[in-house]
Formats: sequence, C-alpha cells, structure tokens
Amino acid sequence: MLAPTLFILFITGFVPFLYVLVVSFFDWNTFAQNPEPQFAGVNNFRRLVFDEAFLKSVGLTLKFTFFVLVSQLVIGFALAKLMMRNFPLKGLFRTVHTLPLMIAPIAVGATWRLMTVPGLGPIPHFMGKWFDISYVLSRFPDQAFATVVIMDIWHWTPLVTLTLLAGLSNVPEEPLEQARIDGAREWRIFWDITLPFLKPVLLTTIFIRLMDALRTVDEVWMLTGGGPGAATRFIGLYIWKIVFPKTDYGYGSAMSVLTLYMTIVLCWLLYVAMTGMKENKK
Amino acid sequence: MNRGFFHSKTVTVIFWLCMSMLTLVPIWWMFLVSVKRRVDLFGAPSFFLDVSSMTWDNYAVVLGNPVFRKYMFNSLVVATSNAVLVSVLALLAAYAMSRYKLPGKDNIFFWVLTNRMAPPAVFLLPLFLLYTTVFVVGDWSLFDTRIGLILLYCVFNLPFAFWLLQGMVDGIPQELDEAAYVDGASTFYVLRTVIFPLARPGLAVTAILTWVFAWNEYLFASTLTSVHARTITTGLAEFVTVTGTNWGQLAAVAVLTLLPAALVLALVQRHIVAGLTFGAVKG
Amino acid sequence: MSDRREGFLPIKTNTFDRVFISVVLFIAIGLLWMRFLEQALPLWGAAVLSALVGQWIIRKG
Repeated sequence: MLAPTLFILFITGFVPFLYVLVVSFFDWNTFAQNPEPQFAGVNNFRRLVFDEAFLKSVGLTLKFTFFVLVSQLVIGFALAKLMMRNFPLKGLFRTVHTLPLMIAPIAVGATWRLMTVPGLGPIPHFMGKWFDISYVLSRFPDQAFATVVIMDIWHWTPLVTLTLLAGLSNVPEEPLEQARIDGAREWRIFWDITLPFLKPVLLTTIFIRLMDALRTVDEVWMLTGGGPGAATRFIGLYIWKIVFPKTDYGYGSAMSVLTLYMTIVLCWLLYVAMTGMKENKK
Repeated sequence: MNRGFFHSKTVTVIFWLCMSMLTLVPIWWMFLVSVKRRVDLFGAPSFFLDVSSMTWDNYAVVLGNPVFRKYMFNSLVVATSNAVLVSVLALLAAYAMSRYKLPGKDNIFFWVLTNRMAPPAVFLLPLFLLYTTVFVVGDWSLFDTRIGLILLYCVFNLPFAFWLLQGMVDGIPQELDEAAYVDGASTFYVLRTVIFPLARPGLAVTAILTWVFAWNEYLFASTLTSVHARTITTGLAEFVTVTGTNWGQLAAVAVLTLLPAALVLALVQRHIVAGLTFGAVKG
Repeated sequence: MSDRREGFLPIKTNTFDRVFISVVLFIAIGLLWMRFLEQALPLWGAAVLSALVGQWIIRKG
C-alpha cells in the first residue's frame, strides 16, 4: 500500500535528482553545433564559479533571505504576543491575518504589481505626494529590492505569527509568574523562560521560512521580472529565465545542483548552529 | 509609560483593525481595479468603491474568452484530480505506515518529506528534460499534458497529505480494525468501512489544502506546458506583457485566482499552520 | 550507525554525519580550488586534499 506513493515520489522526486546530477557533468545544448550530450567532466562547474552573474544572484538571494527572515521573526513575534491577549473579534482578526498564506504567490505578485504601477497604484502616488519620493520600481534597484522584501513580509509573516502563537500558548504560566514575583526583568524572563520553551517552534519556523525564502520565484517574477537590471534576480529566477531559455542544459543542471547543494548546506549549518552546539542532542 | 493603556482591549482591537487593513488593502485595491472602467484607472487613487461607475466588464471579457475558460478548466481538472489522487494514495500509505512494522520506517518518512522541501527551480530543468525526452511513448509525451501536471504536483502534495493523514490514522484505535480482521474482513473492506468514515474530516482537510496548493502552483505549470495544459496561474502571468498590460483584466483574473483559496480559508484555517510546518507546530 | 561520539568537531556525530560533512567539504574544496588555485595547480590537488580531509574527519571527527 505504500508502494504507489513511493513509486510516484521516486519518479517525480528522486529520478529528476539523479538525472540532474548526471546531466550536470555533460555538455548538452540543443542549439549548439553538436546537440548531443557529451561528457564534459567538471567543466560546467568550472564555468559556474567564474560566472559573476550567477554569483551575484546567489548573494542577492542570501541577502533577501536574511532580510525577510529577520523582519518576519521580529514582526511575527510581536504580533503573536498581541494575539495572546484577549480581545473581542479575535477569531475574525486571526482569519483575516491568515488570508495571505492561502493566496497563490503569482496572485500576490499581481496584487503588489497593481499597488506599485506608476500612475495607477496608490504606493507611487502617495510616496510622491507625502514624501516627495519618486517611486518607480522599474528604475530604482533599491526600491525594487525593498518592495520585494516588503511583499514577502506581507505574504509570509502570518505563518510566523501563527507558529509562534502556537508556541507561546504552550509556555506554562507558573514559572513566568514566579519570576515576576521575584522581580525579574521582562527581557530576562523572555531570555531564560520563554525562549527555551519557544525554541523548537522557533527552529521549525526559521527552517521553513529559510527554505521558502531561498526558493522565492513566482511573486518576484510577477512584481519586478527580476529587474531592474539584475536587482531582484534571485537564483530561481536566474535558472528559470536566463539559463533555461538558452537550452544550455548541462550548464543549467550544474547550476541547479550547486543551488541544491547550497540550500542543503545552509539548512544543515543552521540546524547544527541552533541545536548541536549547546545541547549535543540525543 | 502607562502599561495599562497599551494593554487595554480597545487599543488591542484598534491595533488589530489596523493590521487587518494592512493585510486587506492590497487585495481590496486589486478588486477595485478589477471593477473600474478603463478610463477611470489612472488618476488620483481612492480606496472607496465608486458604485456609480462600477463595471463587471473586465470579468465578462475574461470569462467570455475561450482560451481563458480553457485555462480555468485545466486548473480545475488538474487541482481536483491531484487532490483526489493524493488523498487516496496518502491514505493508503499512511495506513500502511501506521499499522505495519516496516524496516527503515523513519528513513522512508524523512525521505518523503524532503521531496517537499527541495527548491522547485532546481527540478525544473531535469523534469523538463525527462518530460520531453525520456517519458515519451511514440508521439506522446508527458510534456504539456494535464496528466503530467497531475503527477508532478504529487511531489509537493503527496508528502504533505501523507504527513497530515499519518497523524489522523494514528489517532484511530487499532482495536477497531483488528476486530474487523477477526471477523474475516479484507484489508480493503477495513479501509472502506472502518478507516474511511473515521478519517473523513481529516481527508476533507487534506483534499482541500492539496487542492489549493495545486491550484496555486505556477513555476512547473509555466515550464512544463505550452498550449494545451496551461493553468489559470500561467494565464495570469501572460497578462503582463511588454506592450501595454490590460490592468483591469489582469486584476479580474487575479481575483478569480485567489477566490477559491479565500473561500475555503475559514474551513481549513486551523490546519494551515500544522500543514505548512509539517505538524512540527500545531496551530 | 548510532556510534555518536565526540571528536574534534564541535558536535557529536555518527558515521553518516561525518561522511556527509566530508562530501560537503569535498564539493566546497573542489569549487574553491577551481576558482582560485587551478591556474597554478591542477584539480587533482583538490581531490587529494579532500580525500585527506575526509579521511581525517571520518576517522577522528
């Protein structure tokens, strides 16, 4: 009974992985003089480490991931704290807050595109009117990058809020109150009591968000198209829009493999840094 | 600093009202654009609905377009088939996982989950090559077929459904199906009469969420289809062209794209968090 | 596989962990070598170096 599930995942998950690994060692471009795959050793990877555009998009992706992760954790934690209070219509607010999570990333991109198109969207209008800032996504790289970050915060902070909310609800009351009676400072209580209880949830949240942020493609493509120039061209976009249409399959495969490698290493490093160092788990 | 003031109910509610506004404004704006006439699009933006000049023309044009209707139909077919397929397979797998002692159980489970975690852009190229050159029978290839997409969406939906149902099936007491086996029932019979009715709420949530994920998917759909099997999300992306985008229609399509997800939100709200974090966090 | 132990690495590791770390380092060394050292030294150097490092980690890590 397990067989069909494993079989389908084998075909759609494991076979492509092996395939991309094999192809990454071949020279294969259907539009080249010799369209047949030829073994090329590590030539593709050699090309890759000197590809400035690729390295730049890697750096950009890491920068993006760092910004969204930090801001989402801070905002999400604050919102979760606020959600812990009792107030009327809590359920309704919670539902509204969850809404962005369910929207297709491509529709999120479309939404923000409509918000930011010059002449049509409210953001450029009010930026110009109130702050006298000329806001044109297709012209200013920094604005484009910032907008992409803000869009991601809008889209995914609810997830952080909800997970941290679940974590906070599990923090027992007694030690907190005991500490308050003893006159401990709030940040001390947070650091010594809340945080240890929150740690597993926090870790999972960071993990999930890290992996999702590293593979952000759809929204960004819809909002900025990776531009202006290469200002928001993340790895996913680079593979999909630059390498793919050139039908340079061997090179693209090498890039995919390296991206996967970096994703795995990054997640593993984070995992070790957060669990292994302190407790030596198991 | 007056802590009492900041912790009062009124302030909290006002704060959450503002937060909800922030969440809803982009979506509301999109709806506004979708019901505006073309002449009203540009000008000082207003967040209030002008009922007198409201028009449903954009929706009429979009829904009247046979190409777009086909995209929508494809999306419906792909998402629904995928949700059904995934739910059935995952129920079987979860049952096997929960009731039988299998060697390397944890490893299987872990491997299944990693399928969900891998970045899709990495798999675009191999899948494209496999679909166009390897998985080919005569003139027929998986490329640009609905079946291709249905199978492909299993990569991220199957692990998810598997995990969700695993917890569900674990919660069904084993005595129930053992009693049925003692009476001489077949595995299939037990699944149908004991497990299925008890797992129904879980199955519903699984089916709805996988449906939404399949409906929302864009990257694979845009790469592995060209004409016949395009979905609504690729249709949405096609509206953004170099030469003059029709913003009203774009907004209308975007509203149609997010509508189903928004409609089922209330039903599955409690399970979204657990679903998106693989049950590491219970919402 | 569950021979968790403490070596010179900052975490407790089992055999699988150490093999994994070695493979990760192998790839990293190879790539960095290609970028910075290959003009002067052939790529075999990276392979030899990785093999030594891997050996060391699997034995003593």
